[in-house]
Amino acid sequence: MFSDGAAGPVCFPDSTEHVQAIMGVAARFDRAVLARGAGSGLSGGAAPLGDPIVVSTTRMNRVLEVDVEDRTAWVQPGVINLDLTRQVTPLGLHFAPDPSSQQVCTIGGNVANNSGGPHCLAYGVTSAHVLAVEVVLSTGEAVVLGGLDAEPFGYDLRGAFVGSEGMFGIATKIAVRLTPNPESVKTLLLAFDKVADAAATVGAVIASGLVPAAVEMMDKRCVAAVEDFVHAGYPREAAAVLLIELDGLRRGVEADTAKVAEIGRANGGTVRVAADEQERALLWKGRKSAFGAVARVAPDYYLHDTVVPRSKLVEVLEAVYEIVDRHDLTAVNVFHAGDGNLHPLMAYDSREPGVNERVAAAGREILEVSLAVGGVLSGEHGIGVEKRDFMEYQFTRADLEAQALLRRSFDPHCRLNQGKVLPSAHSCADIASLSASKADGVWG
Amino acid sequence: MSGSLGLLGLDQAELDSCVACGLCLPHCPTYRVTGADTHSPRGRIALMQVVDEGIAPLSDEIVEAFDSCIQCRACETACPGDVPFGHLLEVAKGVVEKTRGKAPWWLKLGLRALPRPRLLRAGSSCLAVAQRLRLVPSQRLGLPQRLPVRRRALRATGDDVWLFTGCVMDAWQRDIHVATQQVIEATGTTVRPSGDAAPCCGALHTHAGLGDDARRLAARAMSALEGDNAILVNSAGCGAALKDYGRLLDSDEARAFSARVFDVHEWLVDHMDEIDANPPAPAIAGRVAIQDPCHLRHVQGSHMAVRRVLEPFVSEIVELDDEGMCCGAGGAYSLVHRQLALDVRDRKTGAISRSRADVVVSANPGCSMHLVAAGLTVRHPMELVAEALRAR
Repeated sequence: MFSDGAAGPVCFPDSTEHVQAIMGVAARFDRAVLARGAGSGLSGGAAPLGDPIVVSTTRMNRVLEVDVEDRTAWVQPGVINLDLTRQVTPLGLHFAPDPSSQQVCTIGGNVANNSGGPHCLAYGVTSAHVLAVEVVLSTGEAVVLGGLDAEPFGYDLRGAFVGSEGMFGIATKIAVRLTPNPESVKTLLLAFDKVADAAATVGAVIASGLVPAAVEMMDKRCVAAVEDFVHAGYPREAAAVLLIELDGLRRGVEADTAKVAEIGRANGGTVRVAADEQERALLWKGRKSAFGAVARVAPDYYLHDTVVPRSKLVEVLEAVYEIVDRHDLTAVNVFHAGDGNLHPLMAYDSREPGVNERVAAAGREILEVSLAVGGVLSGEHGIGVEKRDFMEYQFTRADLEAQALLRRSFDPHCRLNQGKVLPSAHSCADIASLSASKADGVWG
Repeated sequence: MSGSLGLLGLDQAELDSCVACGLCLPHCPTYRVTGADTHSPRGRIALMQVVDEGIAPLSDEIVEAFDSCIQCRACETACPGDVPFGHLLEVAKGVVEKTRGKAPWWLKLGLRALPRPRLLRAGSSCLAVAQRLRLVPSQRLGLPQRLPVRRRALRATGDDVWLFTGCVMDAWQRDIHVATQQVIEATGTTVRPSGDAAPCCGALHTHAGLGDDARRLAARAMSALEGDNAILVNSAGCGAALKDYGRLLDSDEARAFSARVFDVHEWLVDHMDEIDANPPAPAIAGRVAIQDPCHLRHVQGSHMAVRRVLEPFVSEIVELDDEGMCCGAGGAYSLVHRQLALDVRDRKTGAISRSRADVVVSANPGCSMHLVAAGLTVRHPMELVAEALRAR
């Protein structure tokens, strides 16, 4: 969908010093710079616009140190999310944010997008698990934002950096919080004849005071594609399925599992509890392969990422099906139901004449519906280039100017990840009249 | 979705089945060591697309991206969309070979020698003597430490099953065939080794883009291994190739032939209870790590059979923590792409050392030679089982 732009020189640094050197060259020749991890993002955040120098972090892939006692680790940005968890599993720990792409996406990319994932319902998104970041600024200077202390000194610039989509600097070392593995985990698969019943179950579970580790929903078409791949015994005939996970102390998990099953049945669902780790892993493999499995439906897909209040889930889902049908596209729904984070997906064949325009139009309508019920533009995939021009739907002019100012305080020449997130009216060119000196000293 | 053919002759529907989600990336050995998308299945497919559609010329860089693939096909196991990457790459490499003759001359010369068993054996005996005189740098050439000067003869004991003996494996690792035959016979089954009549499966020729040679060798193997009895194979690479004749030759006869082919472990799983358990075989001591050859795990999907066959005969099996990542051997790959093969192997030797194994087993000659060259002790699972059976 975003066909303009191409990569300039591609660099594969393996240390902070390399990244600093690259930034130095970029500054000398006034070239734009784009950081890229595994390239699994879904909003075009790492797609090069113009011909920037591409800094691929894939070779900065070492876990530098793990502190078991304090449950922290310093990692390089190119470490794959699941690799980090695997590496600390023998220590009884894991990295809690688990995007569906966790087997491929990098921690650097997670930081840039403040990524979520199924288990962020209970554990919080990436920002809650990043303690400090070493950042190379566009000047080539390396700074550490945040710290390992409970209350680091000064403004929370770490908080500003997490989710800045590569526009503030390039993270070269990240201090992450590691989470102890729960004593017990149970995963339930609930099947419903009506999407509304599944949504009602989600609402009732949360309203009951339970905080499941994850509450995921998949619709019929998604289940079919996923089941063709994993053969986990997902019920193809159900209109919607919920994957609900509970974790914690054994007794508590048992009680909560019974409670969720009861709520599910009361809402017309059938309940299956994964009997062992193997069954549980297979169910999750299905959920986490959903986007790739859509290849079985059509050769291209466009995925949205809006968040709506849980109480509006049914209403918005119905609107999504209506919109996508009207544009003669195929809707597949798979999403983080527990926090109302929708991922409506449109499957299509991009070679069909005029289809790209229809996809774009349908996508815009889905956004409008989500925002109209009090939702937001993006839950976890970021704004990137995909939603840049929709920012004005959610934010006022003053909001956007404030965001642009914050960006310039980190990157006065707007050299990093140009053309992303902020609509062109709020990009560097238009606020170039603001003195760069105003931005100086923010962290001085 | 049509089957229209572009400049690389690729099937459009096969190309379209990739949505570029990237779930293959962490499973790709070359991407893992270089971090470059052009060394990943997703990147290679993107390059195939632009060349096929005439958007980009078939440059040296793009040919290198195709050539650097080890063809382990771990990406196929990982792919939720069932993208037939192995087939796409084979077709693309075939076109590259036809239009640019990309395979090095010495590789082609070597591949032409494979189906000449007497020449191969004589050559490798000379090499073995030279090795003993310290005239060849075995380590640097990736040769086994001690090639056999003479080989024990294989004798047919009947016609219940064929044992496919192949080319390099027969010349260099005849002892593994002897062990395999002993294990099969322990089930009360008679064995006819294929010997020189079916000298080579053609797998390496297919991988090098030499499709015509591969098809000739396939036809030869099919006419030699006649009858309708099972064909057992103890080399994962050869087994995968023989099982693929149906697609390679696209004939009913070839499909029927492929249906008779079994990896020896796969066959043994169904015949284990025919092995006389009285007296029971003593378990071989030590931790045994299983290195899954890619063409067993990702292509044939028979890697679990190795575990089931070994379990009664060894005291402890340990799994490597790399999810069946390639070891970097890739048939002739490690000769052509020396550095990449060594970098990939470093990851494997790391996993093996983390497993604290005493011995590594591998059901593929290429993998075991590649790992032995790294200083590891590597046995074929059939050798361990035969050893346990002999110790009764």
